[in-house]
Order: sequence, then structure tokens, then C-alpha cells
Amino acid sequence: MNEDLSVFGVDPWWLIGIKTVVIFGLLVLTTLMTIWGERKILGRMQHRIGPKYHGPFGLLQSLADGIKLALKEDVVPSAADKVLFFIAPVITVTAAFATFAVIPLGPVIDLPFTDRVTPLQLTDLSVGVLYILAIASVGVYGIVLAGWASGSTYALLGGLRSSAQVISYEIAMGLSLVAVFIYAGTLSTSGIVAAQDDVWFIFILAPSFVIFLVSMVGDTNRAPFDLAEAEGELVGGFHTEYSSLKFALFFLGEYINMVTMSALATTLFLGGWAAPWPLSMWEGANSGLWPMLWFLGKVVGFLFFFIWLRGTLPRMRYDQFMKLGWKVLIPLSLAWIVAVSAVRVVRLQGGIDLRWIIIAGVVIALAVLALAFIPEGADPQEGAETEPVPFDAFAGGYPVPPMPGQQSPDLPPMVAAAAATGGPNDRQDAGPDAGQGAHRA
Amino acid sequence: MNEYTPILALLALGFGFGLFSVIISGFTGPKRYNRARLDAYECGIEPTPQPVGGGRFPVKYFITAMLFIVFDIEIIFLYPYAVAFDSLGLFGLVEMVLFISTVFIAYIYVWRRGGLEWD
Amino acid sequence: MTGEFDVPKVEYALVLPLLVVFAGALIGVLIEALAPRVWRYQAQVGVAVSTLFAGLAATIQVGVGLEPLAGDVAARGDVVVEGALVVDGPSVFLWGVLLVLSLISVLLFAERRLEGGLTSFAGQAAALPGTDAERQASTRRIEHTEVFPLLMFAIGGMMVFVAAGDLLIMFVALEVLSLPLYLLCGLARRRRLLSQEAAMKYFLLGAFSSAFFLYGIALVYGYAGSFDLAAIDQAVSASTAGTPLLLAGIALIAVGLLFKIGAAPFHAWTPDVYQGAPTAVTGFMAACTKIAAFGALLRVFYVGFGGASWDWRPLIWIVAILTMVIGSLVAITQSDIKRMLAYSSIAHSGFILVGFVGLYAGSPAGEGLTSLSSVLFYLTTYGFSTLGAFAVVTLVRDAGGETTHLARWAGLGKTSPVLAGAFAFFLLAFAGIPLTSGFMGKWMVFAAAWAGGAWPLVIVAVLTSLVAAFFYVRVIVLMFFTEPGVDGPAVAVPSALTSSVIAVAVAVTVLLGVVPGPVLDLAQQAGAFVR
Repeated sequence: MNEDLSVFGVDPWWLIGIKTVVIFGLLVLTTLMTIWGERKILGRMQHRIGPKYHGPFGLLQSLADGIKLALKEDVVPSAADKVLFFIAPVITVTAAFATFAVIPLGPVIDLPFTDRVTPLQLTDLSVGVLYILAIASVGVYGIVLAGWASGSTYALLGGLRSSAQVISYEIAMGLSLVAVFIYAGTLSTSGIVAAQDDVWFIFILAPSFVIFLVSMVGDTNRAPFDLAEAEGELVGGFHTEYSSLKFALFFLGEYINMVTMSALATTLFLGGWAAPWPLSMWEGANSGLWPMLWFLGKVVGFLFFFIWLRGTLPRMRYDQFMKLGWKVLIPLSLAWIVAVSAVRVVRLQGGIDLRWIIIAGVVIALAVLALAFIPEGADPQEGAETEPVPFDAFAGGYPVPPMPGQQSPDLPPMVAAAAATGGPNDRQDAGPDAGQGAHRA
Repeated sequence: MNEYTPILALLALGFGFGLFSVIISGFTGPKRYNRARLDAYECGIEPTPQPVGGGRFPVKYFITAMLFIVFDIEIIFLYPYAVAFDSLGLFGLVEMVLFISTVFIAYIYVWRRGGLEWD
Repeated sequence: MTGEFDVPKVEYALVLPLLVVFAGALIGVLIEALAPRVWRYQAQVGVAVSTLFAGLAATIQVGVGLEPLAGDVAARGDVVVEGALVVDGPSVFLWGVLLVLSLISVLLFAERRLEGGLTSFAGQAAALPGTDAERQASTRRIEHTEVFPLLMFAIGGMMVFVAAGDLLIMFVALEVLSLPLYLLCGLARRRRLLSQEAAMKYFLLGAFSSAFFLYGIALVYGYAGSFDLAAIDQAVSASTAGTPLLLAGIALIAVGLLFKIGAAPFHAWTPDVYQGAPTAVTGFMAACTKIAAFGALLRVFYVGFGGASWDWRPLIWIVAILTMVIGSLVAITQSDIKRMLAYSSIAHSGFILVGFVGLYAGSPAGEGLTSLSSVLFYLTTYGFSTLGAFAVVTLVRDAGGETTHLARWAGLGKTSPVLAGAFAFFLLAFAGIPLTSGFMGKWMVFAAAWAGGAWPLVIVAVLTSLVAAFFYVRVIVLMFFTEPGVDGPAVAVPSALTSSVIAVAVAVTVLLGVVPGPVLDLAQQAGAFVR
């Protein structure tokens, strides 16, 4: 692929200023609209109406919320590490803004009133996507520091969980992109969009797209993977102790990350700003400012997908979530990378050399075979080293549910006593669902 | 001007916005002192005393972090290979399959030893 | 950016020994992950032995097929893998020696009779010493069979280390060989706290010295503009005077390598680690690590810094004298047999450094004895004797495991004369008594150093050899001419594995002492380094 970055880095300072402000405004505006849209859509999905009083259709609701947050008391817990507590939300929001710098919003256009041409993109680097991943990782610092600096147990646990989650899914995400780079031959975002001129990568690299989609949701801490702020377990997660505008910054950062991830998915798999098929018949669809519309349309589609997921799926359990990331997505991506490279090499070599296909097939078969040999869970002999603890319904003095792998006892002592005295759970329903009876009791 | 300058501009704008918000929130809101409010929030019960310096947390997180580094380095090696894929051809494929399977064997070992279990 | 990539060339046939060893190690990891626990020991030992044999066969094949270099008389071989590795005579010779010694070490690792049917490694390293978990692991007879893949990774790293043609590859190899060794040191089944302390010390000091090494590489890169040893040689030879940058770089690299060798003043870790590590691992380390580190030292200083030899020779002179004196004198005061052997190994490092610093390139025809070939020969003799000596140490036991206090060895010659005889023989070899391999080794090294003009060093070396002979003979006297104590040590009856290790070591020590010709020829045919 020929990538030509010569159009980048030549803008005068005033043009950079305009582009920066436009991107900044776009992100803030999209965030406000997304929050409004999320509440509206979730409301409809739950047979409610959602916000409707402020502005037409309640459009100004998020703005009102923002102003309200600004007028709330800014609480700094006495146990907090003051400096880090202040700096953490700034890190998060800065990293969130900065990732958008290399997203292409459109092609090169003629600037009105001047004889300049400029791309609809702040800048591009030869390592564009790597830059996005790197800056997104910096955002994790905000989460970890916020959790640690709060001086509170919930926040610490939430911060650890979030960071473990983000780094786990970043691996799957990074691996899913390798196939894209193989086909595009470049890491620059504009180059990747150009490489999708004939066919979007979603069609030839569908498995990569699915893996990216899943890890994108995991990476942004969104439902059903929003374990870091599982209210039932951790209150608000890493931002439990934050209030006022500092909290608003975390909120903003989360939504900007959603927007960035959607934009990245659009760029890498949906042809970026290129017009979708029926529209692309029209000559002018890919020139001027139109591409921005197609681009935003695709991004909004992804945002709707995020909201739809949240409205549909219940939150996963943490161990299931980590298992999905480490034991399903990673081996899947690795196998897919090998398969894509093998096919591509065969295509490049022109003639199909049967020997190498056989070798590749053997390698893949071996990998699959190795996977099949791995039983569920750890080595059973290894597992036997920790004797299964019999279920204690009152471990630690509180009633607790059974852990995974523990059997719920047929009748806890209390119920047994009740049954002996002829309580409501009499002998006749002490059958298959005796355990349930016990829970009801 | 090179292509990194605009990034600095966006970084500066984002950072300025964040800093502005953090500072301004100290002035816009009311200040009503309440000792209980300054305690860590634990749903109303007396907060657990925090050990100085953050204390310990489970070693699982360290293992996750170490595995992350291993795989992240693998990814960083895969990216240049992917970009130069067309010129490396068959040689690149063979070497990369060797490389991926090396890491994969370690991955299988970690899996079987329960390094990926989360309880 | 669109520039076409030149596809790198990898000479798979020439690096086959390395590939075989690493593949074997990976198979070992897979066995560890997938095979049921009852089969693991057999499978691991089988894979380790067959891998090392295959590696040895490949090494021999590579060695036979080495092409003589055009123009250069003595050197044979080639620079392979884009300059990353150099497969030449010394590389192949050291590969062979390392593989043979590691084969013997595997037998020592696999010994199971001494601990009641279990290997001498911790059942479950993660269980804290003295806890229930540890007791459970030992009652359930769990073993860490990971030691075999670890050994193979270490050997693979050593093989790359001696063949590296590039300082960066050398650093990677240094880490590959060190990390498994740190782990292995902490895996003793008995006296686990001591063993873990040894591993910790070794790890911290090793990491420290790696940092020195790396910093030295950075400085040399700043001077020469390349990591490649040949390019560094050109840069060094082209300039008339050493600049501070180069000198500092050489000094720091030397620190890193001399640490691995165990030369004074970087020897402090040696006694503690040798004492704490499981004895089988100690033997392996003492033999193989030293060989690998000397291989790398020779290559870096002869090939890379050969042009600056006037700058580094005084430094190595001082280090060599210090090492010999400290090793020999401090060994006298030791009351623990493993610590005494550790100091003896330090003294031997000094003797080898004497040969190294002689820089004798042989007679004008390029034939016969050279510093390089004498050091290679010494390393071979020393490796076998030291492995045999540590194998003997594993057998002298009481109720608490190995008993290494010298007082407990009193009268061993009366209770078990064969074993004590073998040990005495190894000690005589260390002392350099004629008719043992040690004598031939010392003779070659000193002769080469003398021919190279380092005669004051040779005199010091001979004097310290005499001092060293004193404490070796003292142990022999203790074993044969003292009455055994009331609760004298029991000598455990080993399985065929350890017995064959000792037998092979004795045989090699005798053979190299009586008919050193074939191996010496091999070492001399190794010729010179290819650059």
C-alpha cells in the first residue's frame, strides 16, 4: 500500500486551531447527545418516556445535569491522596480527548476562501492506530490513580477491577487488529481507510470485527461488562468518592471513549468516511463535507449498539468476564491471525503450493487439538490441592449464597428444625426442589 | 510543523479543560463542613481503617498484569510483521507461526496451572 | 515507508543445535501442561535426554561441516542469522561440551532414590517452608518436573551466549540462561529457606550485574555505532587511543561477564548460592555457567575489544591475581564442603583468567597451543571434575539430608572407600596433580600464558595452586586418616543415575590426564574466532 502522509503536518497554526476546537466541540456535543440518547432509548426499551422537559424532546437534559453537577459540593475525602485525587480525572479526560486526533473524518477537501487543500482530520501518523492504543492505555492510569487515591475500599477494588479488565481486553483488541494491518499494510488511519476502497474489512475480516466489537465493549467498561461499577458490589467503583465536576470528568471520559472506539471501529472495519453502497453510486458522495455525514452516521450506529446492549443484557459475573477475555478471545484471535496470514501468503505466492497449505492446516489443526485437550478449569490434579470447602451458609456470620462449584445443602439446620416442628416446608415438598424451599424459608 | 504538532494542541486543550473543571468545581459548589461526609463511603457503616500506603491486594492482579505485558509485547512484535507482511512473504509466515506458537505454549501452561482462573 | 524489506536469511542448518534444544524445552513445557502427573517424570527425563542427544548429534554434524574461512588460516565457520550468531570452531566446541555436561546434569537432576522416590527438588515451590501446604505436598508426593525444561532453557541460553556475534543477542542470551538458574537455585527440597535465600541473592546480584552489562553495551554502542562485534572491532582498531567512553564500556561489560564467572571482586554471591542451591543445580551451574561465561568473555574481548587489549589487559591481570588469591586463601578457612568447592571454583576462574589474559595466538603458523585452545581445554577438564565432585556431595547424607559440614566427613574413607576415593581423585584433579585432567589443564593454560608473556601471573598462579593444594589435601587427610565420628555420615546408595555420573566424571578426569591428545586436538582444531 502506498501511504502518503505528505498532506499532514503542513497546516498553518490557525487551521490547526480551528480543527482542534471543532474536534473538541464535536466530542463534547456527541457526549451530551449520547447521554440524552441513551436515556431516551433506554426509556423506550423499558416502556418509559425518558427525559422530556428541558428543551425540545428533553434535548437539553444533559446540559442541565452538567450545570447541576457543577453547583454541587466538591468533596475531597480526608483519607484521599490530595494531589493524585485531583490529577486522576484530568488524566482520564485528557487521554480521552487526545485519542481522537488521528481519526479521519473525511477526505482531503478544498478550503473555502483560500487556495489550500486540507484533510478532514487533525493529523495522521505512520503509527496512527498504535498511537490510539497507547493513549488509551494512558487513560488506565486515571482509573488506577483515582481508585488508589480515594483512600476507600470500594474505590480501590473498583479501580483494580477496571484496570484488570481494560488490560485484559486490550490484548484481544490488539490481536484483532493484526489482520487489519496485514490487509492494509500500514498503521496510519488514513491509509487504512484508503485500503478499504474496494471492499470494507468487515466483509473479509468478519471474525476480527466480532472480536474487536466484544473487546471494545470490555475496554470501555460498558454494560454488560461494567463490572467496575457494579452497584450491588462496589457502589460506583473507582469514582465512588468523586463528586461535582470531577465526577463529571470521569463521566465525560467514559462517553468520549465510547465515541472514540466507535470511530475506530468505523475507520478500521466500516470504510471510515466512505459512503455506504447505494449512496456510493452517486459521484459526489465521497467529496466535500458529505463524508463527514456518513462517518457520523456510522459512529451513531455503533453508539446505538452500545446502548442497545445495555438495555438488553444483564451484567456478567467477573470470573465469567475474565474467562471470556483470556480463554476465548485470545486463542481465537491468535488462530485467526495465523489463518489470515496463511491464506494471504498463498494468495501472494500466486500459485497454490499444496505443501504449505498442508503445513498451515496441520498447525491450525494442532492448535485446535491442543485447545480441545484443555478441559474446563485448571488441571484437576492441581485443583485437588485445595480441598473443596463444604458450603457454609453462614460463613463469616452472614447468610451467603453458595460459591461456584459448591452444593447448596438440602436443608440448612434452621429449616430442618422448622420441618421437624411441622413448619410450612413439610415433608412432601422436600423432594427435588428442597433447596429452593430452603431458600424461600 | 510536523504531524505531531496538532496532537500537542489537542492534548493541551483537553488538559486545560480538565484542569479548569477540577479547579472551578472548588468554587462553584457550596461548602458545608461535615466530618462524616469526608469519611470514605461504605454505605453508611463505619469505614474500615485503610492501611498506610494502600495495603495489599490479591496477587491475581499482578499475575494478570504480567500476562498482559507478555501478550502486549507479542502484539508489538506482530504489528511490524503485519505491516511488512507483503514483502516478508513465506519466510515471515513461518517465523511468525513459530513465534506465536512459542507464546501459545506458555499460554497453555498458564491456563493448565490455573493462572487464568478467577474466583 | 513503502521501501521493500529485504527478507532476512536464517541458516537453519547451522543453528540446528540451538533450535533442537529450544524445541525440546518447549515440548517439556507442553508435557508439564498436558500430561498427567504420574507420567510427567518419565516423559520429562525422556524428552530431556533425547533432546540433548539430538542436539549433540546436530552439533557434531555442524562441526564436521564447518567451512574453512577464506584467507584466514586457523578460523573456520560462518557468521549466520544476519550477524546475530557466529557458528565457528570455538562455538561448536563449547556447544559440544555444554551439551555433554548438561546430559550428565540431567542424570543428576533425575536421581530419585536418595529422597525416597522423589527428586531432590521442592515438591511445591509456592508453598511456604514449614506450612501445612508444604507438608501436604510432600505427603502427596508432588514433584516439580519443571526443572527439566528449565535446565534446557538455561542450556539453550548458554549455547546462544557463547555464539553471539552481537552484544544485544548476547544480553538476551544472558537473561535466557540466568532466569532459569535463579529459579532452579530456589527449588531445594531440604533447607528451603537457605535455598530461597540463595535464589534471592543470586537474582538480585545477577540483575544488578546484567544492568552493568547492558550499560556497558550502551556505552560501547555510543563509541562504535554498532552492536556487532566485528564492527566494534573495526572501530576499536581504527582509533589509536581508547577514549573514556570505550574504556568505561569495556569495564562495565567486563563487570557483567566477570560476575557470571565468579571472579573477584564480583565473587561474593558464589559461596552463598553454591551452598544454598540444590546440589545437582550447583554442579550444573558450576560447570556449565562458567563455561558459557568464559566462552562469551573470550569472544567479546578477543573479537570485539582485541584492538584495545593494551587497555584492558592490566585490569584483567589485577582481577586474575585477586581471584586466585582470594579463592585459595578463603577456601582454607571454610568448614562447609559446598562453600569450600565454591571458593575452589573461584580460584579456578582465576587460573583460567591467567590463560585468557596471556593472549597467545600460537606459533606463527597458527598451529598448536593458543590461549584460546588452552582455555577451552581447561574448561572441559574443570567441568567434568566439578560436576563429579558435586555428585559425590549429594550422596553423603544423614537424617536431615545432605551433610556438608567438613567435620561430618571425617573418616569417610574408612566407611565407604570407593566414594571417598572418587572424591579424593576429583580434589587431586582440582589441585593439579599429574595424571589427572587438572594437571593437563593447568599446564596448558600456564604454558600459553607464559608464551604470551604473562610470566609474573604464571608465577602467582603456581604459588596459589600450592596454597590451594593444601586445603584439598586437608580434606583427603580428613577423609582417610581420621577416625569416623560416633554418628558418622551415612553414604546413601544411589541409583544407576548418580553412579554413572560419578563414573563418567572419574573416567574423563583420568583419560584427559593420561591421554589428553584427542580432546586437545579438538580444542586446537577449533582454531580462532570468526569475526
